[in-house]
Amino acid sequence: MNWSIARKLPLFVTILLLAVAIAQLSVGYFSVRKASRALADKRLPLATSVLADLLVSSQARTRLTALARDSAILAFLGTGRQRGRDAALAAMRRITNDTALNNGLELRDFSGKLLLRTGRFTIADSVLVSPGRDTARIGRLMRQDTTVYFAIAAAAGSDERGGGIVQQVARLQLNERTRRSLTGLAGGDVGLLLGNADGDPWTDFAAIVPAPPEEVRTSPTPVRYTRGGEPRRASAKAVPGTPWMVVAELPKRVIAEPARAYLLNMAPIAALIIVVGALAAWWGSRWLTIPLKDVTTAAEAIAAGTPGPSVPVRRDDELGRLARSFNTMAEKVARSLQTKETMLRGVTETAHDAIIAADGEGIIQFWNPGAARIFGYTVDEVLGKPLTMLMPQRFHEAHLAGIRRYVETLEGRVVGKTVELEGRRKDGTEFPIELSLGAAPVDGGMSFTGVIRDITERKRIAEALQATNAELESFSYSVSHDLRAPLRAIHGFARILLEDHNAKLDPEAQRLLGVIDQNTRRMGRLIDDLLSFSRLGRQDLTDARVDMTELTRLVADEIRRTEGERNGHVEITIESLSPAHGDRALLRQVISNLLQNAVKFTRGRPNARIEVGSRPDGKQTVYYVKDNGAGFDARYSDKLFGVFQRLHSTEEFEGTGVGLAIVKRIVQRHGGRVWAEGKVNEGATFFFSLPYGEN
Amino acid sequence: MPSNGVEILLVEDNANDAELTLRALKQRNLANQVFLCRDGAEAMDFFARRTSPVPKVVLLDLKLPKVDGLEVLRRLKEDTKTKSIPVVILTSSREEPDIEKAYELGANSYIVKPVDFEAFARAVSDVGLYWLLLNHPPQ
Repeated sequence: MNWSIARKLPLFVTILLLAVAIAQLSVGYFSVRKASRALADKRLPLATSVLADLLVSSQARTRLTALARDSAILAFLGTGRQRGRDAALAAMRRITNDTALNNGLELRDFSGKLLLRTGRFTIADSVLVSPGRDTARIGRLMRQDTTVYFAIAAAAGSDERGGGIVQQVARLQLNERTRRSLTGLAGGDVGLLLGNADGDPWTDFAAIVPAPPEEVRTSPTPVRYTRGGEPRRASAKAVPGTPWMVVAELPKRVIAEPARAYLLNMAPIAALIIVVGALAAWWGSRWLTIPLKDVTTAAEAIAAGTPGPSVPVRRDDELGRLARSFNTMAEKVARSLQTKETMLRGVTETAHDAIIAADGEGIIQFWNPGAARIFGYTVDEVLGKPLTMLMPQRFHEAHLAGIRRYVETLEGRVVGKTVELEGRRKDGTEFPIELSLGAAPVDGGMSFTGVIRDITERKRIAEALQATNAELESFSYSVSHDLRAPLRAIHGFARILLEDHNAKLDPEAQRLLGVIDQNTRRMGRLIDDLLSFSRLGRQDLTDARVDMTELTRLVADEIRRTEGERNGHVEITIESLSPAHGDRALLRQVISNLLQNAVKFTRGRPNARIEVGSRPDGKQTVYYVKDNGAGFDARYSDKLFGVFQRLHSTEEFEGTGVGLAIVKRIVQRHGGRVWAEGKVNEGATFFFSLPYGEN
Repeated sequence: MPSNGVEILLVEDNANDAELTLRALKQRNLANQVFLCRDGAEAMDFFARRTSPVPKVVLLDLKLPKVDGLEVLRRLKEDTKTKSIPVVILTSSREEPDIEKAYELGANSYIVKPVDFEAFARAVSDVGLYWLLLNHPPQ
């Protein structure tokens, strides 16, 4: 069981107090009991002594001894019992009148024959005890029914002069009063018993009781025994001058009484202490744990994702500080969470695309407005439903298998990628989608996040573009074939005219045919350039490492060969160029066009110089071709790379105005850019950049 | 060498191009045994009628009425009787797919007709000279 500190602390304190109380009570109880027993063991012998003394000091023996010597008795006996009878009786009556009413007094001869009798108690018909000669002797206690009695006898006179025996038979007054008055002597709670030292009868002065066991009667010290079913402690003492014995006893109950009283008094106090202690501990722990509980509850609420109100700060101590710090922290967490949530909500609500999250079983957990717009389902219609509802039936199996595989092996064909698939709207229509899928483990499961774009329009545009491209292709095919044929005819027949009918033509006609000749050639070049420019947009790029230095040297050599004979000297300097990645044939055309440009615009210059170099620039390499030729007006530099855009007249420098446009297109298709710097008559520098790496 | 046989089959729908081609061949004295077809169907008929002797070379334009040049080429190269005849594509098209397709079908040369007449005349006469005089076909 997981108990809180608020419960454990008071419980612990209570148990501790209880243990202390039990120990204290036990120790106290046993000490008190031991002391009571020691006291009892002192009191009991004292009581027996007192009782024994009381019994011994009885006057009965003295009186009887005196009676045995009384002259009237002796005279009666000495006269052969003839005379003095009344006097003897009178003497005897003095004693019986004097003493207790229960005595009987007898005078018998030695044979036991009754001579005289007085008093009321007449139980005996013989001498019950061997008579003492000098003093009266006390006999054993005897019993008849409920009566206990004993005899005291003394010899009177002598045989020769006629003697006899005086015997007094005394009955013990056994009643509650006697018992009480005797026990009162011993302190009230002590029971006193009297009996023969060798056995029955025994009495407690109120009634006949069984004789105490042998071990009680013979033990010199107090012992334990059981009488009447009750355990007691008893001490015995012989009564001197008699065959009797007295026993004083105390019930164990009485001895244990002080200890019990101690327990009875102390237990409520101990209980009170425990209760007060437990309450104090409970209150103390509450005082300690309530603020902790507040913090814990608040923390648990945050952990469960349902933050409640802030923790009340009730104090200024450490717990108060804890609560305050916790509030600050919770507030910061909440604020940052809120910011993030707001951001997330902003992103997902603004997003044009569908943003959907699902768990490891493919059950939809999140659905943004974009998703609602694209698929036609509202949030309530999809949350908790499977993703399969968003795709055509034929993809269900593959989708479920894919999810299973990913959850088990973390290998997926779609996760982490962007793929094109088919989606299914609420109205059942299917449409092309682009899905970017991410997966992340959460709370022991898997969470999939998908961003879905409706690419119906894109597909349509792509198809339209493809159609346009196809049209363009057939157009350029037509241009290539059909435009060149008439041109060739014009040129061909003009040449035939010049060659075969030269004699019939005057110089002006010959000049005009020359103009036709030039223009048809130019038109042919224009068509060829235009075709290669349009092809650039459609042609696929190859990708290889291209040694730009070697490529540039090849192109330069070729140009030197074709140009060298026509013009003056041109000096082409080629530095060591960084290698590039791209389509070798196209890059060759870039270099070729730029070099030819440079050669063209330095034509006729003294000290014509062309310089080719490269330098790294961030993630790109910048190549440049620099010349000291005609240059250009920097104001028109943006026109340089446009198709058919020229900054010089055809008379000045020939050209179709396509060369630099081709350069720009090739470089752009490689992911780079082109630009130029220059001044009129101070040369021009053409730059192009190419990205590093495998492009 | 049979003197009255057709040595060059020119398949060309453009009358001007045909005239220019013939003129270029004539300048090299190669025009005597040229047979001109104005479309692909005519070319196919030519081969269907004449079994022997076959021309030494076929100059074939690509863009032709009825049956286009590539189709003519395909049929020629499929037929065991005609497949060893050298076929030179003589066209205005510089389109890469055309060039690739032509070679794939077994064209022996692919010549783009230059706009420049001198260049055109040179190309045609060079081709004629090469295939008629220098090339040695299987007997």
